[in-house]
Amino acid sequence: MLPVDKTGQVADLPILGVSDFVAVFNQTLEFVYPSVIIVGELSSFRISKNKWLYFDLKDETASVKFFGSVYALPGPLEDGLMLQVRGAPRLHPQFGFNINVQSIQPVGEGSLKRAAALLEAKLRAEGLFNPARKRVLPYPPSKIGLVASGESAAYADFIKIMNARWGGVEINLADVQVQGESAPDQIVAGIQYFNQSAQPPEVLVITRGGGGAEDLASFNTEQVTRVVAASRIPTMVAIGHEVDISLAELAADQRASTPSNAAELLVPDKITEQKRLKNVRIQMGQHLSGLVADWQANLITSAVELEHVISQYLQRYTDELSAKRNILAALNPEAILRRGYAIVRKGGVLVRTTNQIKKSELIDIKLHDGNFNARVE
Amino acid sequence: MNYHKLNEELDKILDELQSGELDIDEAVKKYERGQKIVSELETYLKTAKNKVTKVKVKLS
Repeated sequence: MLPVDKTGQVADLPILGVSDFVAVFNQTLEFVYPSVIIVGELSSFRISKNKWLYFDLKDETASVKFFGSVYALPGPLEDGLMLQVRGAPRLHPQFGFNINVQSIQPVGEGSLKRAAALLEAKLRAEGLFNPARKRVLPYPPSKIGLVASGESAAYADFIKIMNARWGGVEINLADVQVQGESAPDQIVAGIQYFNQSAQPPEVLVITRGGGGAEDLASFNTEQVTRVVAASRIPTMVAIGHEVDISLAELAADQRASTPSNAAELLVPDKITEQKRLKNVRIQMGQHLSGLVADWQANLITSAVELEHVISQYLQRYTDELSAKRNILAALNPEAILRRGYAIVRKGGVLVRTTNQIKKSELIDIKLHDGNFNARVE
Repeated sequence: MNYHKLNEELDKILDELQSGELDIDEAVKKYERGQKIVSELETYLKTAKNKVTKVKVKLS
């Protein structure tokens, strides 16, 4: 029994105003439960003014109210999903008791799948997974931004295969958590770090090993998926699992099935590349000899053509010359003499008229076959 | 050295040599450049090592 005074009130208890009670109660709550994590089925879920969240989590016998901002949403939600919610319990001065939401995660395979399906439908409708958005990754890249856990087997596998296949790549590791509540924020920070870098890498690789649906949940969150889709740097997402493809993989420019597969897709194998280069050397030699052979053949053809043209010219000139020679021959006075004419000269001067000669004068007569003198009678 | 860019230049040279549209001086120049690139790429494959650095990411 509590001690009671004369008026019937419990002794030694403070008497508080309503606001004071709310303040004291909240202080006590904050001291005892700064944060609680509650798992339950989502019901009465609603979003007000695109900004505020109101919902209940319930089980068979109880129901608790939650209040928060839309920034805490992992993606679209619907009543019936099992959620794990972290938040601070408090008594609101007007609206009573609720839990102020800090983070929300779907739990259990069914709810995770359903939440992922809801988000996938929403983001697909926005065109985030559109094949036309996919960029071709530089092959091979000289600088890679790697978002992974530095302690993970996924990281070790990726580096091992990279080193076995290729060299000279600068790999910058953003060492982040890839599972757990803070994983989405850390993955987002890693991707944003590289996107804001003054000398950004040519490719972003976001990777982790396989795991259960809850381990991989970060890669199905809206924030991670959106940041992958919005990355200015081309992205490759490699999650080591076989069953479902995560939303981050759908949003990436390229996906790989495992961290090792990511390294295989990113860079060629140097042994194969050395063989290829050897072939390129041979091919170049063959092309050049082919070209030289073509040019030689062209030269020979040109020489033959040239000879032909020149001989045609020569023939033409020869023909013209012989025609001229015939004309000249026909015009030769000697030829006229052959026809019975004679040339008469007196003292070496051509006699053209009878007036030039007188009786008894000596004249010189030239026939076609010789000369003789004669005296004019 | 950027392997990707040099390799692209090499592919272009191969295409040009293959097209047969170059004159002889150009073809010889391209051939010599191509051989030089192949040598550089081969040296890269023999000597280059990957380098991993951890960057500091701040959570916003």
